Amino acid sequence: MSDSQLADWRKHALTLESEVNKVVVGQQKPIRLVTTSIFSRGHVLLEGDVGVGKTTLLRAFTRGIGGGYQRIEGTIDLMPNDLVYHTYLGEDGKPHVSAGPLLQSGEDLSIFFFNEINRARPQVHSLLLRVMAERTLTAFNKEHHFPHMIVFADRNQVEKEETFDIPSAARDRFMMEIPIVVPNDDHIMESLVFDTRYHDVDALVANVPENILQFDQLNIFGAMLQNSISASPTLRSYVLNLWRATKAPLDYGVQVSGVDMKRLVLSGASPRGMGMVLRAARVNAWLNERTAVLPEDIHDVFHATVAHRLVFSPVYEMRRTEIARDMLSGIINAIATP
Amino acid sequence: MNMLIKKLSPQKHRDSEKAAWSLLLSQGRVLSQITSDKKVRFNFFNLYAFASLWLSFFSFILPTAYADETPLPDLDPKFYSVKVSNPTRDAGFVVGDALDRTLVITIKKPYELVKESLPIVGYEHRWKGQISGVELVKIQVDEKSLSEAMQHTLNLRYQVFTTSKTVKHASLKAEILNVRNTKTKEVVRLRVPFFDFRVSPLSLFGQIKLNEDMSPFVPPLTLDASSEKRNMQWLIGLLTLSLLGLLYIFGAYTWLPKMGGPFAKAYRDIRKMPETAEGLQQAVARVHQSLNITTGSSLFGNNIAELINKKPAFAPLQGQIAQFFALSRQVFFEPQAATQLSESPKAWLLKLCRQLRDCERGLPVESPQK
Repeated sequence: MSDSQLADWRKHALTLESEVNKVVVGQQKPIRLVTTSIFSRGHVLLEGDVGVGKTTLLRAFTRGIGGGYQRIEGTIDLMPNDLVYHTYLGEDGKPHVSAGPLLQSGEDLSIFFFNEINRARPQVHSLLLRVMAERTLTAFNKEHHFPHMIVFADRNQVEKEETFDIPSAARDRFMMEIPIVVPNDDHIMESLVFDTRYHDVDALVANVPENILQFDQLNIFGAMLQNSISASPTLRSYVLNLWRATKAPLDYGVQVSGVDMKRLVLSGASPRGMGMVLRAARVNAWLNERTAVLPEDIHDVFHATVAHRLVFSPVYEMRRTEIARDMLSGIINAIATP
Repeated sequence: MNMLIKKLSPQKHRDSEKAAWSLLLSQGRVLSQITSDKKVRFNFFNLYAFASLWLSFFSFILPTAYADETPLPDLDPKFYSVKVSNPTRDAGFVVGDALDRTLVITIKKPYELVKESLPIVGYEHRWKGQISGVELVKIQVDEKSLSEAMQHTLNLRYQVFTTSKTVKHASLKAEILNVRNTKTKEVVRLRVPFFDFRVSPLSLFGQIKLNEDMSPFVPPLTLDASSEKRNMQWLIGLLTLSLLGLLYIFGAYTWLPKMGGPFAKAYRDIRKMPETAEGLQQAVARVHQSLNITTGSSLFGNNIAELINKKPAFAPLQGQIAQFFALSRQVFFEPQAATQLSESPKAWLLKLCRQLRDCERGLPVESPQK
């Protein structure tokens, strides 16, 4: 791939990022991570409190990427077949079957937006697991492919009533889990409350130009991008040390206040997880106009790509977000390169 | 005769005494008759009679008086106990030395100590007619009344007034105290054991010349302390080295405060590294190591501010540190990346290390590198 192609695509990516930043203010870092995830061809799980703009953020990206967009709301009575087909009585009084949200856009499905994913049953998670991993679905005696599909999902960790925890296997399918927090800047907070343009979310999202990216080119470009950005032996060694540290943080002198580190980690990052770290780091290097991955690129995506993959002892699960953040920061501080 | 009388029994003693007095009286009567008859003439016979009268008297009376100093019987051991505390050594005393001796004598009733029999200060003790040369110079007596006894503590101080050419024997004499039975008035004696010791001469015979060595103008003799002095010098040297070593250890392995910091060590190490690609990698890694130690955690290009926050002394070199990370990026991660160094990387690293070393020592930093 030529440098000009990389530069062109970078220009589009930064344009998309810039446009989303105009709609969703004060979320530069999550927006950069979502952009990274799109070009890494990874699924994204947004996590945050109610009303912080998770859905708005994903809708804005969806508009900029283009392609087929489908959405479903997670509810406790949602069944896997609800994702595949609808049955209804037509005007002619006869039962009809139509394609569900997963099948409606066919192969052009670009974004599948699963709102409040933790309200869905584990059966639904199971179906989603396969779709996310293989990007295929068997229905009506036929295998359907969704080569361009990226799943955007969100959940809020605070509400526990009528929710189902997403199993670690399903979490591992997401490239990133991105925390969305209310910005601290007074000016932005005031704007979010008093600026009337935030009252109508549809009108707000419509401000993002459509089809900034060519969704059907993203897979090809993403693969080429991965091949264009190199990783030196020093960096490889560094990443391996990071990986080992997620499994045995105590071996690297990592401590978290109030936590028995010997009992904390049941399972560290998976090989797939570390592969995703490198994929995301390469995209981050490209977005920063570099031709090789630096430790700083790893740091930029490390929390978002690793934290949700760690499996902790049940006693520490309630404090997962806080402990994972401290542990991963400790790992970055403890491991040096070269 | 004396010896004979000593061997007599007390009854025979008294008989002989009576006989002496009767003889004296009979001779006196004879003499009075002679004088009363007024036939007395001063002639040889009369002189003989007078002399024989007095000779008879002394020959009986004097031995009887001497017989009063015969040894008293010993006190039954069940009525007393003696605890003796002698000097701790029994040799090496010279003329003038004092020896302290403590006697704790407990005498049970009805016996009591005859105070007059206590040793007398200044009494010249003789042994076989010779002055022993050991004299009691001080005595202190403390008494303590017990329920059935009286305890006397005698603190005695003797002083040696004798010497000889060779080591000779001397002793603190066995003091003999008299004890009286308060009921029968019988007087018996109590003997305290003696203590033998040796008196040494002040100097070896023949080694001192009176004219030269005992002159008041001759300085006092000194012992040869050269070996002790030499040992002392060695020990003081050893002690000094030990203290210096301790100081070095307590000073975090530096001789002066803020000396031997991470960048000072890095500067020394980098100077020895070769001017090759591998040498450059080692040098950059060495600076990374020093930065990490200084920061207290791993330092990367995106958190230089953390170092500046923790160690504001490095603030003037923030630009150079960023430039170093650009060099590190080229060396370790991205060979195509450009650096803006105007000289060889190693020379630049040495300059940087020297400046960082000055920062860590709190010294003013030279003008930033171009």
